[in-house]
Amino acid sequence: MDLNTVLSKSPDAASRTYDGQATIVLPSRAEVKVLNELGSRVWDAIDGRRTLAQILATLLEEYDVPREQAERDVLDFVGELRTQGMVS
Amino acid sequence: MTTATDSGRQAGFSLDPPAHAGADFVPDEGFFSRVRPGFGPHAISVRIGPLRVRLEGLAREQWESLMTRFRPFLDGGAAMPAPDLTVRLTRAGVPAFLALPATGTEVYRMGRRTRPGARDCWSYEFAGTVSSTRREAELALVESSGPLFERGLENFLRPLTASFILERGGLLVHGAGVVREGRAYIFFGPSGSGKTTVTQLSPREVILSDDLTLIVAAAGGFRAAGIPFGLAHHHFPDTNESFPIAALVRLIQSPEVRRERLMGARALAEVASCLPFVNQEGGEAAMALEAADRLLRKVPVWRLFFRKDDSFWKVIQES
Repeated sequence: MDLNTVLSKSPDAASRTYDGQATIVLPSRAEVKVLNELGSRVWDAIDGRRTLAQILATLLEEYDVPREQAERDVLDFVGELRTQGMVS
Repeated sequence: MTTATDSGRQAGFSLDPPAHAGADFVPDEGFFSRVRPGFGPHAISVRIGPLRVRLEGLAREQWESLMTRFRPFLDGGAAMPAPDLTVRLTRAGVPAFLALPATGTEVYRMGRRTRPGARDCWSYEFAGTVSSTRREAELALVESSGPLFERGLENFLRPLTASFILERGGLLVHGAGVVREGRAYIFFGPSGSGKTTVTQLSPREVILSDDLTLIVAAAGGFRAAGIPFGLAHHHFPDTNESFPIAALVRLIQSPEVRRERLMGARALAEVASCLPFVNQEGGEAAMALEAADRLLRKVPVWRLFFRKDDSFWKVIQES
């Protein structure tokens, strides 16, 4: 996976963003997860159309984070989402 | 009139192949297209929150038993409106669907399937199907009386109730409902968190449930009500009335007694994790999150640290 990857949310995952934080129900794993603010921004931006590079660019406009660190964090984070079946 | 006290197996029905010991018998679509005999000509109507459910195909003994068991929830009278759902009880004609474990702790299993025109579900002692119009259902039971009959009926109606109340903007919560001074407190949490303990520590209050409480979306807010399903180890509701909800309370057993307000996504996650049945598929899970979101904008959620005495009430009712 690299910054050219386009991800979609799992149709099985139900989510709701409440005061900037996403709550996600994963029926297949019988789990409920809460993402932090940055993770929620990434989650909300995953739409099956935008590349990770485009999502990263949006985050860099909104947050004062070094690009290299943000890129590493985003790739790690979406990797975890994919491992848990939340995105593909 | 048919009076049935035997199970389908004992009565010699052989509509479908028997389940082998240790093997699951998963009812296919053909199973539900067959015509199965009911137990008898009797029927009762019950009201579960806003839902009117008619159970028909009952033998007299079943009817008498359910009239007693569901007494606070019976729906009757000449002006009774049409039921939201009519469930026809039939003889399954098989000894079991899912196989019970031979030894050890039973882990409850239930299969589900959506097909054109209907949704099916099945477990150890029942297989049921609900039409896509959500008005008619068939419940095939392996026994006509006793624990397997009662469990089959309740285990079919509970997820159905969860789905129906969800369609009306409400929720079925894994929580104890306790009414104090006219307002309902819903104490929720996983098994072992203290739901039954809280009801036992509240002997002067009205108990809606010690396990599953209905949250009904009503004009002006949300109300709590009990459901008429109390398997042997759970408290049967004191009343079929509904009450305005004062708070949702996540239980945590602790030597100290205090509360913390839960807000935002954390509150939503805590409530969402205690919604049985509807979190098993994406569509209903999304609806449940929306309903929980609307609920939490009206009702506060607290995390209650409590010990086994009634001192928690003072903390809960602090303004």
